[in-house]
Amino acid sequence: MRLHRRLVLAGLAGFAVPARAEEPIRLGLLRTLSPAPLYLAQERGYFAAEGAPVVFRFFEAAQPIAAAAVSGDIDVGITALTGGFFALAGKGTLKVIGGGLHEQKGFDLTAVLVSRKAYDAGLTSLEKLGGHSFGITQFGSSFHYMIGRLAEAKGFELKSMSLRPLQQIGNMLAAVRSGQVDATMAIASQAKPAAASGEAVIIGWVGDHVPYQITALFAATPMIAKREAALRGLARAYQRGVADYRAAFLAPVKGPATAAAIADITKYVFTGDPAAAQKITEGIGWYDEGGALDVADVKAQLAWFQAQDMVKGPIDPAEIIDTRFLPTR
Amino acid sequence: MRRGNWRMAEPVPFRARGFVARERGWAAAVTLLAVLAVWQIGAELRWFSVAFLSTPAAIARALWHLVISGELGRDLGASLGRLLGGWLGGTLAGLVAGLAIGLFSTLRNPGMAVVSALFPIPKIALVPLFIIWFGIGEGSKLVTVGFGVFFPMAISTIAAVDAVPRNLIRMGQSFGLSQAAVVWRIVLPGALPALLSAMRITAATAIILLVAAEMIGAENGIGAFVLRAGNLYDIDALMAGIAVLSLIGLAAARLIGLAERALLKWR
Repeated sequence: MRLHRRLVLAGLAGFAVPARAEEPIRLGLLRTLSPAPLYLAQERGYFAAEGAPVVFRFFEAAQPIAAAAVSGDIDVGITALTGGFFALAGKGTLKVIGGGLHEQKGFDLTAVLVSRKAYDAGLTSLEKLGGHSFGITQFGSSFHYMIGRLAEAKGFELKSMSLRPLQQIGNMLAAVRSGQVDATMAIASQAKPAAASGEAVIIGWVGDHVPYQITALFAATPMIAKREAALRGLARAYQRGVADYRAAFLAPVKGPATAAAIADITKYVFTGDPAAAQKITEGIGWYDEGGALDVADVKAQLAWFQAQDMVKGPIDPAEIIDTRFLPTR
Repeated sequence: MRRGNWRMAEPVPFRARGFVARERGWAAAVTLLAVLAVWQIGAELRWFSVAFLSTPAAIARALWHLVISGELGRDLGASLGRLLGGWLGGTLAGLVAGLAIGLFSTLRNPGMAVVSALFPIPKIALVPLFIIWFGIGEGSKLVTVGFGVFFPMAISTIAAVDAVPRNLIRMGQSFGLSQAAVVWRIVLPGALPALLSAMRITAATAIILLVAAEMIGAENGIGAFVLRAGNLYDIDALMAGIAVLSLIGLAAARLIGLAERALLKWR
Protein backbone atom coordinates (compact mmCIF):
# COMPACT_ATOMS: atom_id res chain seq x y z
CA MET A 1 0.00 0.00 0.00
CA ARG A 2 2.76 2.38 0.96
CA LEU A 3 4.69 1.49 -2.16
CA HIS A 4 1.57 2.14 -4.16
CA ARG A 5 1.07 5.56 -2.63
CA ARG A 6 4.68 6.44 -3.24
CA LEU A 7 4.32 5.48 -6.88
CA VAL A 8 1.28 7.69 -7.24
CA LEU A 9 3.09 10.61 -5.63
CA ALA A 10 6.06 10.08 -7.91
CA GLY A 11 3.71 10.04 -10.87
CA LEU A 12 2.07 13.31 -9.80
CA ALA A 13 5.47 14.92 -9.32
CA GLY A 14 6.39 13.83 -12.82
CA PHE A 15 3.35 15.59 -14.21
CA ALA A 16 4.00 18.71 -12.19
CA VAL A 17 7.48 19.30 -13.60
CA PRO A 18 7.14 22.36 -15.86
CA ALA A 19 7.82 21.70 -19.51
CA ARG A 20 11.24 22.90 -20.53
CA ALA A 21 11.77 24.75 -23.77
CA GLU A 22 14.02 22.09 -25.27
CA GLU A 23 11.40 19.39 -24.76
CA PRO A 24 10.31 18.50 -28.30
CA ILE A 25 6.93 19.74 -29.51
CA ARG A 26 4.74 16.89 -30.74
CA LEU A 27 3.25 17.85 -34.11
CA GLY A 28 0.38 15.83 -35.58
CA LEU A 29 0.05 15.61 -39.37
CA LEU A 30 -1.01 13.38 -42.25
CA ARG A 31 1.63 11.55 -44.25
CA THR A 32 0.69 13.33 -47.45
CA LEU A 33 2.26 15.97 -49.62
CA SER A 34 0.10 18.74 -48.11
CA PRO A 35 2.32 19.58 -45.08
CA ALA A 36 5.48 19.67 -47.26
CA PRO A 37 6.83 22.98 -45.79
CA LEU A 38 7.00 21.23 -42.41
CA TYR A 39 9.05 18.40 -43.92
CA LEU A 40 11.47 20.99 -45.29
CA ALA A 41 11.70 22.80 -41.94
CA GLN A 42 12.41 19.53 -40.17
CA GLU A 43 14.96 18.20 -42.66
CA ARG A 44 16.80 21.52 -42.75
CA GLY A 45 16.94 21.82 -38.98
CA TYR A 46 14.89 25.03 -38.71
CA PHE A 47 12.86 23.85 -35.73
CA ALA A 48 15.95 22.99 -33.70
CA ALA A 49 17.66 26.23 -34.77
CA GLU A 50 14.67 28.29 -33.57
CA GLY A 51 14.70 26.58 -30.17
CA ALA A 52 11.60 24.55 -30.88
CA PRO A 53 12.60 20.96 -31.69
CA VAL A 54 9.68 19.05 -33.21
CA VAL A 55 8.80 15.38 -33.42
CA PHE A 56 6.25 14.33 -36.04
CA ARG A 57 3.31 12.16 -35.09
CA PHE A 58 1.63 10.79 -38.21
CA PHE A 59 -2.11 10.11 -38.41
CA GLU A 60 -4.42 8.37 -40.88
CA ALA A 61 -7.21 10.96 -40.97
CA ALA A 62 -7.80 14.61 -40.15
CA GLN A 63 -10.30 14.34 -37.30
CA PRO A 64 -8.13 12.15 -35.02
CA ILE A 65 -5.41 14.83 -35.14
CA ALA A 66 -7.76 17.31 -33.47
CA ALA A 67 -8.89 14.68 -30.96
CA ALA A 68 -5.27 13.80 -30.14
CA ALA A 69 -4.51 17.45 -29.41
CA VAL A 70 -7.46 17.58 -27.02
CA SER A 71 -6.40 14.40 -25.25
CA GLY A 72 -2.87 15.76 -24.84
CA ASP A 73 -1.13 13.31 -27.18
CA ILE A 74 0.12 16.07 -29.46
CA ASP A 75 0.77 19.79 -28.88
CA VAL A 76 0.40 21.21 -32.37
CA GLY A 77 -1.20 19.94 -35.55
CA ILE A 78 -1.75 20.81 -39.18
CA THR A 79 -4.92 19.52 -40.77
CA ALA A 80 -8.19 20.35 -42.46
CA LEU A 81 -10.64 22.29 -40.30
CA THR A 82 -13.41 19.73 -40.05
CA GLY A 83 -16.76 19.92 -38.29
CA GLY A 84 -15.25 17.84 -35.51
CA PHE A 85 -12.35 20.28 -35.23
CA PHE A 86 -14.69 23.25 -34.74
CA ALA A 87 -16.75 21.35 -32.17
CA LEU A 88 -13.61 20.60 -30.14
CA ALA A 89 -12.18 24.09 -30.60
CA GLY A 90 -15.53 25.53 -29.50
CA LYS A 91 -14.96 23.93 -26.11
CA GLY A 92 -11.85 26.06 -25.70
CA THR A 93 -9.33 23.28 -26.27
CA LEU A 94 -7.80 24.21 -29.66
CA LYS A 95 -6.82 27.42 -31.42
CA VAL A 96 -6.01 28.02 -35.08
CA ILE A 97 -2.66 29.84 -35.27
CA GLY A 98 -1.61 29.80 -38.93
CA GLY A 99 -2.52 29.03 -42.50
CA GLY A 100 -1.68 25.95 -44.54
CA LEU A 101 -2.49 24.56 -47.94
CA HIS A 102 -4.98 26.37 -50.17
CA GLU A 103 -7.30 25.22 -52.91
CA GLN A 104 -6.41 27.81 -55.53
CA LYS A 105 -7.35 28.40 -59.13
CA GLY A 106 -4.83 26.78 -61.44
CA PHE A 107 -3.58 24.21 -58.94
CA ASP A 108 -5.05 20.78 -59.63
CA LEU A 109 -5.28 19.54 -56.06
CA THR A 110 -8.69 17.94 -55.58
CA ALA A 111 -10.66 16.53 -58.51
CA VAL A 112 -14.36 15.78 -58.72
CA LEU A 113 -14.40 12.22 -59.97
CA VAL A 114 -17.49 10.68 -61.58
CA SER A 115 -18.07 7.00 -62.26
CA ARG A 116 -18.07 5.93 -65.90
CA LYS A 117 -21.66 4.73 -65.58
CA ALA A 118 -22.90 8.06 -64.18
CA TYR A 119 -20.88 10.02 -66.75
CA ASP A 120 -22.37 8.06 -69.62
CA ALA A 121 -25.82 8.61 -68.10
CA GLY A 122 -25.30 12.37 -68.30
CA LEU A 123 -23.39 13.49 -65.19
CA THR A 124 -20.90 15.46 -67.23
CA SER A 125 -20.58 18.73 -65.34
CA LEU A 126 -20.50 20.01 -61.78
CA GLU A 127 -23.89 21.72 -62.16
CA LYS A 128 -25.54 18.31 -62.62
CA LEU A 129 -24.29 16.81 -59.34
CA GLY A 130 -27.62 17.47 -57.59
CA GLY A 131 -29.60 14.30 -56.87
CA HIS A 132 -26.60 12.01 -57.25
CA SER A 133 -24.85 9.84 -54.66
CA PHE A 134 -21.51 11.17 -53.46
CA GLY A 135 -18.80 9.41 -51.45
CA ILE A 136 -17.13 11.27 -48.58
CA THR A 137 -14.91 10.04 -45.76
CA GLN A 138 -16.97 11.27 -42.83
CA PHE A 139 -19.68 13.76 -42.04
CA GLY A 140 -18.06 17.11 -41.36
CA SER A 141 -14.91 16.19 -43.30
CA SER A 142 -13.21 18.52 -45.78
CA PHE A 143 -14.90 16.54 -48.60
CA HIS A 144 -18.27 17.25 -47.05
CA TYR A 145 -17.35 20.93 -46.84
CA MET A 146 -16.08 21.10 -50.42
CA ILE A 147 -19.17 19.49 -51.95
CA GLY A 148 -21.29 21.87 -49.86
CA ARG A 149 -19.43 24.89 -51.22
CA LEU A 150 -19.57 23.50 -54.76
CA ALA A 151 -23.33 23.14 -54.36
CA GLU A 152 -23.58 26.83 -53.41
CA ALA A 153 -21.29 27.90 -56.27
CA LYS A 154 -22.91 25.74 -58.95
CA GLY A 155 -26.51 26.14 -57.86
CA PHE A 156 -27.52 22.59 -56.95
CA GLU A 157 -29.04 21.45 -53.66
CA LEU A 158 -26.70 19.66 -51.25
CA LYS A 159 -29.78 18.20 -49.56
CA SER A 160 -30.82 16.52 -52.81
CA MET A 161 -27.58 14.51 -52.87
CA SER A 162 -27.18 11.29 -50.97
CA LEU A 163 -23.88 11.58 -49.13
CA ARG A 164 -22.20 8.26 -48.38
CA PRO A 165 -19.71 8.26 -45.51
CA LEU A 166 -17.16 5.60 -46.53
CA GLN A 167 -14.58 6.25 -43.78
CA GLN A 168 -11.47 5.91 -45.92
CA ILE A 169 -10.13 7.56 -49.03
CA GLY A 170 -9.45 4.11 -50.47
CA ASN A 171 -13.13 3.19 -50.08
CA MET A 172 -14.16 6.40 -51.85
CA LEU A 173 -11.98 5.59 -54.86
CA ALA A 174 -13.13 1.97 -54.95
CA ALA A 175 -16.79 3.00 -54.71
CA VAL A 176 -16.59 5.42 -57.63
CA ARG A 177 -14.51 3.08 -59.79
CA SER A 178 -16.99 0.23 -59.26
CA GLY A 179 -19.99 2.52 -59.71
CA GLN A 180 -21.31 2.08 -56.15
CA VAL A 181 -21.47 5.86 -55.89
CA ASP A 182 -21.95 8.30 -58.76
CA ALA A 183 -19.23 10.73 -57.72
CA THR A 184 -16.56 11.53 -55.16
CA MET A 185 -13.43 13.66 -54.76
CA ALA A 186 -9.82 12.58 -54.98
CA ILE A 187 -6.42 14.24 -55.00
CA ALA A 188 -4.61 14.48 -58.31
CA SER A 189 -2.21 11.57 -57.75
CA GLN A 190 -5.19 9.25 -57.25
CA ALA A 191 -7.76 10.86 -59.55
CA LYS A 192 -5.54 10.88 -62.65
CA PRO A 193 -4.82 7.11 -62.67
CA ALA A 194 -8.52 6.39 -62.07
CA ALA A 195 -9.42 8.61 -65.03
CA ALA A 196 -6.67 7.07 -67.17
CA SER A 197 -8.08 3.60 -66.53
CA GLY A 198 -11.41 4.70 -68.01
CA GLU A 199 -13.39 3.66 -64.93
CA ALA A 200 -13.94 7.24 -63.82
CA VAL A 201 -13.98 10.72 -65.32
CA ILE A 202 -12.69 14.00 -63.88
CA ILE A 203 -15.38 16.65 -64.38
CA GLY A 204 -13.69 19.52 -62.57
CA TRP A 205 -11.19 20.71 -59.99
CA VAL A 206 -12.35 22.12 -56.67
CA GLY A 207 -9.81 24.95 -56.60
CA ASP A 208 -11.07 26.36 -59.90
CA HIS A 209 -14.55 26.88 -58.47
CA VAL A 210 -14.32 27.24 -54.70
CA PRO A 211 -10.82 28.33 -53.69
CA TYR A 212 -10.34 28.13 -49.92
CA GLN A 213 -7.83 27.41 -47.21
CA ILE A 214 -7.92 23.62 -46.76
CA THR A 215 -5.50 23.12 -43.91
CA ALA A 216 -4.42 25.25 -40.99
CA LEU A 217 -1.85 25.08 -38.23
CA PHE A 218 -3.38 24.81 -34.77
CA ALA A 219 -2.20 24.42 -31.21
CA ALA A 220 -3.71 22.90 -28.11
CA THR A 221 -4.64 25.57 -25.56
CA PRO A 222 -2.18 24.32 -22.86
CA MET A 223 0.65 24.61 -25.40
CA ILE A 224 -0.21 28.27 -26.03
CA ALA A 225 -0.59 28.98 -22.33
CA LYS A 226 2.52 27.25 -21.03
CA ARG A 227 5.03 27.20 -23.88
CA GLU A 228 4.41 30.39 -25.80
CA ALA A 229 8.13 30.99 -26.49
CA ALA A 230 8.58 27.51 -27.98
CA LEU A 231 5.47 28.00 -30.09
CA ARG A 232 6.88 31.28 -31.41
CA GLY A 233 10.05 29.40 -32.36
CA LEU A 234 7.95 26.78 -34.14
CA ALA A 235 6.10 29.52 -36.02
CA ARG A 236 9.40 31.10 -37.16
CA ALA A 237 10.72 27.73 -38.35
CA TYR A 238 7.44 27.08 -40.15
CA GLN A 239 7.77 30.40 -41.96
CA ARG A 240 11.26 29.46 -43.11
CA GLY A 241 9.90 26.13 -44.37
CA VAL A 242 7.11 27.91 -46.23
CA ALA A 243 9.64 30.35 -47.76
CA ASP A 244 11.75 27.43 -49.02
CA TYR A 245 8.65 25.69 -50.35
CA ARG A 246 7.50 28.77 -52.23
CA ALA A 247 10.98 29.32 -53.68
CA ALA A 248 11.16 25.70 -54.80
CA PHE A 249 7.68 25.18 -56.20
CA LEU A 250 5.69 28.41 -56.53
CA ALA A 251 8.39 30.57 -58.16
CA PRO A 252 8.09 30.89 -61.95
CA VAL A 253 11.51 29.28 -62.50
CA LYS A 254 12.28 25.77 -61.29
CA GLY A 255 15.94 25.27 -60.47
CA PRO A 256 18.27 23.47 -58.12
CA ALA A 257 16.12 24.59 -55.16
CA THR A 258 13.28 22.48 -56.57
CA ALA A 259 15.41 19.35 -56.82
CA ALA A 260 16.76 19.87 -53.29
CA ALA A 261 13.24 20.30 -51.89
CA ILE A 262 12.04 17.17 -53.70
CA ALA A 263 14.93 15.23 -52.20
CA ASP A 264 13.92 16.36 -48.70
CA ILE A 265 10.21 15.73 -49.22
CA THR A 266 10.75 12.19 -50.51
CA LYS A 267 12.10 11.29 -47.08
CA TYR A 268 8.45 11.49 -45.93
CA VAL A 269 6.21 10.78 -48.95
CA PHE A 270 6.67 8.83 -52.18
CA THR A 271 9.79 7.31 -50.60
CA GLY A 272 11.54 5.07 -53.12
CA ASP A 273 8.98 5.88 -55.82
CA PRO A 274 10.82 6.36 -59.15
CA ALA A 275 8.13 8.84 -60.28
CA ALA A 276 8.32 10.81 -56.99
CA ALA A 277 9.65 14.03 -58.55
CA GLN A 278 6.83 14.14 -61.10
CA LYS A 279 4.16 13.30 -58.51
CA ILE A 280 5.41 16.02 -56.17
CA THR A 281 5.60 18.76 -58.80
CA GLU A 282 2.15 17.82 -60.15
CA GLY A 283 0.57 17.65 -56.71
CA ILE A 284 1.99 20.85 -55.30
CA GLY A 285 -0.50 23.36 -53.87
CA TRP A 286 -0.54 26.97 -52.84
CA TYR A 287 0.87 28.26 -49.53
CA ASP A 288 0.53 31.93 -48.63
CA GLU A 289 3.69 33.87 -47.92
CA GLY A 290 4.78 33.47 -44.31
CA GLY A 291 2.21 30.74 -43.63
CA ALA A 292 -0.39 33.49 -43.35
CA LEU A 293 -3.77 32.59 -41.91
CA ASP A 294 -6.86 33.46 -43.93
CA VAL A 295 -8.97 34.53 -40.97
CA ALA A 296 -12.03 35.43 -43.05
CA ASP A 297 -11.97 31.96 -44.60
CA VAL A 298 -11.79 30.22 -41.21
CA LYS A 299 -14.80 32.28 -40.14
CA ALA A 300 -16.63 31.34 -43.35
CA GLN A 301 -15.93 27.63 -42.76
CA LEU A 302 -17.17 27.83 -39.18
CA ALA A 303 -20.30 29.66 -40.33
CA TRP A 304 -20.99 26.96 -42.94
CA PHE A 305 -20.70 24.11 -40.43
CA GLN A 306 -22.97 26.03 -38.05
CA ALA A 307 -25.51 26.71 -40.79
CA GLN A 308 -25.54 22.98 -41.57
CA ASP A 309 -26.21 22.31 -37.86
CA MET A 310 -23.06 20.18 -37.73
CA VAL A 311 -21.42 22.47 -35.20
CA LYS A 312 -23.86 23.34 -32.46
CA GLY A 313 -24.08 26.24 -30.08
CA PRO A 314 -22.64 29.71 -30.47
CA ILE A 315 -18.89 29.81 -31.06
CA ASP A 316 -17.08 33.14 -31.16
CA PRO A 317 -14.51 32.90 -34.00
CA ALA A 318 -12.19 35.16 -32.00
CA GLU A 319 -12.09 32.48 -29.28
CA ILE A 320 -10.76 29.79 -31.60
CA ILE A 321 -8.23 31.86 -33.55
CA ASP A 322 -4.95 33.21 -32.17
CA THR A 323 -3.16 35.55 -34.57
CA ARG A 324 -0.18 36.38 -32.35
CA PHE A 325 2.10 33.77 -33.89
CA LEU A 326 1.81 34.07 -37.67
CA PRO A 327 0.73 36.77 -40.14
CA THR A 328 -2.80 36.95 -41.50
CA ARG A 329 -3.94 37.27 -45.07
CA MET B 1 -28.04 -31.73 22.49
CA ARG B 2 -29.02 -33.70 25.50
CA ARG B 3 -28.84 -37.32 24.62
CA GLY B 4 -31.59 -39.65 25.65
CA ASN B 5 -34.14 -37.00 26.43
CA TRP B 6 -36.06 -36.99 23.16
CA ARG B 7 -39.14 -35.32 24.51
CA MET B 8 -37.18 -32.25 25.55
CA ALA B 9 -35.52 -31.81 22.10
CA GLU B 10 -35.42 -28.16 21.13
CA PRO B 11 -37.15 -27.23 17.91
CA VAL B 12 -34.65 -26.92 15.08
CA PRO B 13 -34.89 -23.51 13.42
CA PHE B 14 -35.53 -23.39 9.68
CA ARG B 15 -32.11 -22.86 8.20
CA ALA B 16 -32.69 -23.15 4.46
CA ARG B 17 -32.82 -19.40 3.98
CA GLY B 18 -30.99 -17.29 1.50
CA PHE B 19 -29.43 -18.33 -1.80
CA VAL B 20 -32.87 -18.18 -3.37
CA ALA B 21 -33.08 -15.63 -6.16
CA ARG B 22 -36.04 -13.41 -5.43
CA GLU B 23 -37.07 -10.79 -7.96
CA ARG B 24 -37.16 -7.22 -6.77
CA GLY B 25 -37.93 -5.32 -9.95
CA TRP B 26 -38.00 -1.93 -8.25
CA ALA B 27 -34.38 -2.39 -7.10
CA ALA B 28 -33.19 -2.57 -10.70
CA ALA B 29 -34.98 0.66 -11.57
CA VAL B 30 -33.77 2.40 -8.40
CA THR B 31 -30.15 1.41 -9.11
CA LEU B 32 -30.26 2.84 -12.64
CA LEU B 33 -31.96 6.02 -11.44
CA ALA B 34 -29.42 6.43 -8.63
CA VAL B 35 -26.53 6.13 -11.09
CA LEU B 36 -28.15 8.79 -13.30
CA ALA B 37 -28.76 11.03 -10.27
CA VAL B 38 -25.16 10.79 -9.07
CA TRP B 39 -23.97 11.51 -12.60
CA GLN B 40 -26.19 14.59 -12.91
CA ILE B 41 -25.36 15.92 -9.43
CA GLY B 42 -21.66 15.34 -10.03
CA ALA B 43 -21.88 17.40 -13.20
CA GLU B 44 -23.85 20.19 -11.49
CA LEU B 45 -21.28 20.36 -8.69
CA ARG B 46 -18.43 20.35 -11.24
CA TRP B 47 -16.85 17.16 -9.88
CA PHE B 48 -15.75 16.51 -13.45
CA SER B 49 -15.68 18.47 -16.70
CA VAL B 50 -18.86 18.18 -18.74
CA ALA B 51 -17.06 19.25 -21.92
CA PHE B 52 -16.51 15.64 -22.99
CA LEU B 53 -18.91 13.79 -20.69
CA SER B 54 -22.52 14.76 -21.13
CA THR B 55 -25.08 14.86 -18.37
CA PRO B 56 -28.28 12.80 -18.26
CA ALA B 57 -30.29 16.01 -18.61
CA ALA B 58 -28.33 17.08 -21.71
CA ILE B 59 -28.69 13.60 -23.22
CA ALA B 60 -32.43 13.65 -22.54
CA ARG B 61 -32.62 17.08 -24.19
CA ALA B 62 -30.72 15.81 -27.23
CA LEU B 63 -33.01 12.78 -27.38
CA TRP B 64 -36.11 14.96 -27.16
CA HIS B 65 -34.77 17.20 -29.91
CA LEU B 66 -34.28 14.12 -32.11
CA VAL B 67 -37.80 12.90 -31.38
CA ILE B 68 -39.57 16.13 -32.26
CA SER B 69 -37.45 16.77 -35.35
CA GLY B 70 -38.46 13.33 -36.63
CA GLU B 71 -34.81 12.38 -37.09
CA LEU B 72 -35.01 9.63 -34.48
CA GLY B 73 -38.10 8.13 -36.10
CA ARG B 74 -36.39 7.96 -39.50
CA ASP B 75 -33.17 6.46 -38.15
CA LEU B 76 -34.93 4.08 -35.80
CA GLY B 77 -37.30 2.92 -38.54
CA ALA B 78 -34.43 2.18 -40.91
CA SER B 79 -32.43 0.40 -38.21
CA LEU B 80 -35.31 -1.69 -36.88
CA GLY B 81 -36.17 -2.83 -40.40
CA ARG B 82 -32.58 -3.97 -40.99
CA LEU B 83 -32.36 -5.51 -37.55
CA LEU B 84 -35.59 -7.45 -37.86
CA GLY B 85 -34.97 -8.55 -41.45
CA GLY B 86 -31.37 -9.58 -40.86
CA TRP B 87 -32.04 -11.23 -37.53
CA LEU B 88 -35.11 -13.15 -38.69
CA GLY B 89 -33.38 -14.32 -41.85
CA GLY B 90 -30.19 -15.34 -40.05
CA THR B 91 -32.05 -16.98 -37.18
CA LEU B 92 -34.39 -19.00 -39.39
CA ALA B 93 -31.55 -20.09 -41.67
CA GLY B 94 -29.42 -20.99 -38.64
CA LEU B 95 -32.30 -22.91 -37.12
CA VAL B 96 -32.94 -24.91 -40.27
CA ALA B 97 -29.24 -25.59 -40.87
CA GLY B 98 -28.66 -26.49 -37.21
CA LEU B 99 -31.62 -28.89 -37.13
CA ALA B 100 -30.52 -30.52 -40.35
CA ILE B 101 -26.96 -30.95 -39.09
CA GLY B 102 -28.15 -32.09 -35.67
CA LEU B 103 -30.66 -34.61 -36.95
CA PHE B 104 -29.00 -36.18 -39.98
CA SER B 105 -25.74 -38.02 -39.58
CA THR B 106 -24.90 -37.59 -43.27
CA LEU B 107 -24.88 -33.83 -42.86
CA ARG B 108 -23.21 -33.71 -39.46
CA ASN B 109 -19.52 -33.75 -40.35
CA PRO B 110 -19.68 -31.80 -43.61
CA GLY B 111 -22.03 -29.24 -42.06
CA MET B 112 -19.97 -28.84 -38.90
CA ALA B 113 -16.82 -28.40 -40.98
CA VAL B 114 -18.33 -25.49 -42.91
CA VAL B 115 -19.94 -23.86 -39.87
CA SER B 116 -16.83 -24.21 -37.72
CA ALA B 117 -14.63 -22.79 -40.45
CA LEU B 118 -16.78 -19.71 -41.03
CA PHE B 119 -17.97 -19.03 -37.47
CA PRO B 120 -14.77 -17.43 -36.10
CA ILE B 121 -14.44 -14.90 -38.95
CA PRO B 122 -15.09 -11.42 -37.56
CA LYS B 123 -18.11 -10.45 -39.65
CA ILE B 124 -17.23 -6.77 -39.31
CA ALA B 125 -14.17 -7.44 -41.46
CA LEU B 126 -16.46 -8.63 -44.23
CA VAL B 127 -18.53 -5.43 -44.43
CA PRO B 128 -16.45 -3.87 -47.26
CA LEU B 129 -16.66 -7.15 -49.18
CA PHE B 130 -20.42 -7.37 -48.68
CA ILE B 131 -20.75 -3.84 -50.02
CA ILE B 132 -19.09 -4.91 -53.27
CA TRP B 133 -21.14 -8.12 -53.50
CA PHE B 134 -24.54 -6.89 -52.39
CA GLY B 135 -24.39 -3.16 -53.08
CA ILE B 136 -24.12 -0.17 -50.82
CA GLY B 137 -27.84 -0.12 -50.05
CA GLU B 138 -29.94 -2.38 -47.84
CA GLY B 139 -28.57 -5.65 -49.23
CA SER B 140 -25.14 -5.49 -47.64
CA LYS B 141 -26.59 -4.45 -44.27
CA LEU B 142 -29.15 -7.26 -44.15
CA VAL B 143 -26.52 -9.78 -45.16
CA THR B 144 -24.03 -8.54 -42.54
CA VAL B 145 -26.57 -8.90 -39.75
CA GLY B 146 -27.99 -12.16 -41.06
CA PHE B 147 -24.59 -13.74 -41.66
CA GLY B 148 -23.44 -12.82 -38.16
CA VAL B 149 -26.57 -14.24 -36.56
CA PHE B 150 -26.59 -17.44 -38.61
CA PHE B 151 -23.50 -19.10 -37.12
CA PRO B 152 -24.14 -18.77 -33.39
CA MET B 153 -27.74 -19.81 -34.05
CA ALA B 154 -26.71 -22.88 -36.06
CA ILE B 155 -24.14 -23.96 -33.48
CA SER B 156 -26.56 -23.46 -30.58
CA THR B 157 -29.24 -25.44 -32.44
CA ILE B 158 -26.89 -28.36 -33.03
CA ALA B 159 -25.91 -28.37 -29.35
CA ALA B 160 -29.56 -28.04 -28.25
CA VAL B 161 -30.60 -31.00 -30.40
CA ASP B 162 -27.70 -33.04 -29.00
CA ALA B 163 -28.71 -32.18 -25.47
CA VAL B 164 -32.26 -33.56 -25.74
CA PRO B 165 -32.28 -36.58 -23.36
CA ARG B 166 -31.70 -39.77 -25.36
CA ASN B 167 -33.97 -41.83 -23.11
CA LEU B 168 -36.94 -39.63 -24.05
CA ILE B 169 -36.25 -40.20 -27.73
CA ARG B 170 -35.83 -43.97 -27.15
CA MET B 171 -39.09 -44.00 -25.20
CA GLY B 172 -40.92 -42.31 -28.07
CA GLN B 173 -39.42 -44.78 -30.50
CA SER B 174 -40.45 -47.69 -28.23
CA PHE B 175 -44.01 -46.42 -28.29
CA GLY B 176 -43.87 -46.57 -32.07
CA LEU B 177 -43.77 -42.81 -32.83
CA SER B 178 -42.79 -41.97 -36.39
CA GLN B 179 -39.49 -40.19 -37.10
CA ALA B 180 -41.35 -36.93 -37.79
CA ALA B 181 -43.36 -37.22 -34.58
CA VAL B 182 -40.19 -37.78 -32.54
CA VAL B 183 -38.73 -34.58 -33.98
CA TRP B 184 -41.91 -32.55 -33.58
CA ARG B 185 -43.05 -33.84 -30.18
CA ILE B 186 -39.76 -34.59 -28.39
CA VAL B 187 -36.69 -33.05 -30.03
CA LEU B 188 -38.07 -29.58 -30.77
CA PRO B 189 -39.77 -29.00 -27.40
CA GLY B 190 -36.69 -30.40 -25.67
CA ALA B 191 -34.39 -28.05 -27.57
CA LEU B 192 -36.65 -25.00 -27.28
CA PRO B 193 -35.28 -23.54 -23.99
CA ALA B 194 -31.72 -23.64 -25.35
CA LEU B 195 -32.89 -22.17 -28.68
CA LEU B 196 -34.57 -19.25 -26.95
CA SER B 197 -31.52 -18.43 -24.87
CA ALA B 198 -29.44 -18.61 -28.06
CA MET B 199 -31.78 -16.02 -29.53
CA ARG B 200 -31.04 -13.67 -26.63
CA ILE B 201 -27.39 -13.81 -27.61
CA THR B 202 -27.99 -13.49 -31.35
CA ALA B 203 -30.20 -10.44 -30.75
CA ALA B 204 -27.26 -8.68 -29.09
CA THR B 205 -24.94 -9.84 -31.88
CA ALA B 206 -27.40 -8.45 -34.43
CA ILE B 207 -27.34 -5.00 -32.80
CA ILE B 208 -23.53 -4.91 -32.79
CA LEU B 209 -23.37 -5.90 -36.45
CA LEU B 210 -26.15 -3.49 -37.39
CA VAL B 211 -24.10 -0.59 -36.06
CA ALA B 212 -21.00 -1.88 -37.85
CA ALA B 213 -22.91 -2.26 -41.13
CA GLU B 214 -24.40 1.21 -40.83
CA MET B 215 -21.01 2.74 -40.26
CA ILE B 216 -20.04 2.37 -43.91
CA GLY B 217 -22.03 4.09 -46.57
CA ALA B 218 -25.33 4.39 -44.70
CA GLU B 219 -27.29 7.60 -44.92
CA ASN B 220 -29.64 6.80 -42.07
CA GLY B 221 -29.96 4.42 -39.16
CA ILE B 222 -28.89 4.61 -35.54
CA GLY B 223 -25.39 3.34 -36.36
CA ALA B 224 -24.91 6.07 -38.97
CA PHE B 225 -26.31 8.60 -36.51
CA VAL B 226 -23.89 7.57 -33.76
CA LEU B 227 -20.98 7.65 -36.18
CA ARG B 228 -21.99 11.06 -37.48
CA ALA B 229 -22.29 12.46 -33.95
CA GLY B 230 -18.91 10.95 -33.12
CA ASN B 231 -17.28 12.46 -36.19
CA LEU B 232 -18.62 15.88 -35.22
CA TYR B 233 -17.78 15.40 -31.51
CA ASP B 234 -21.39 16.13 -30.71
CA ILE B 235 -21.18 14.38 -27.34
CA ASP B 236 -24.82 14.86 -26.31
CA ALA B 237 -26.14 13.39 -29.56
CA LEU B 238 -23.56 10.59 -29.45
CA MET B 239 -24.69 9.51 -26.00
CA ALA B 240 -28.35 9.88 -26.96
CA GLY B 241 -27.70 7.46 -29.83
CA ILE B 242 -25.96 5.03 -27.49
CA ALA B 243 -28.93 5.24 -25.11
CA VAL B 244 -31.26 4.37 -28.00
CA LEU B 245 -29.08 1.34 -28.87
CA SER B 246 -29.23 0.23 -25.26
CA LEU B 247 -33.02 0.60 -25.30
CA ILE B 248 -33.26 -1.48 -28.49
CA GLY B 249 -31.24 -4.20 -26.75
CA LEU B 250 -33.45 -4.07 -23.66
CA ALA B 251 -36.59 -4.23 -25.78
CA ALA B 252 -35.27 -7.23 -27.73
CA ALA B 253 -34.40 -9.06 -24.50
CA ARG B 254 -37.85 -8.26 -23.11
CA LEU B 255 -39.58 -9.62 -26.24
CA ILE B 256 -37.61 -12.84 -26.07
CA GLY B 257 -38.44 -13.08 -22.36
CA LEU B 258 -42.12 -12.83 -23.22
CA ALA B 259 -41.70 -15.48 -25.91
CA GLU B 260 -40.00 -17.75 -23.37
CA ARG B 261 -42.88 -17.32 -20.97
CA ALA B 262 -45.45 -18.10 -23.65
CA LEU B 263 -43.64 -20.99 -25.32
CA LEU B 264 -42.24 -22.68 -22.22
CA LYS B 265 -45.43 -22.69 -20.18
CA TRP B 266 -45.40 -26.49 -20.19
CA ARG B 267 -42.29 -26.60 -18.01
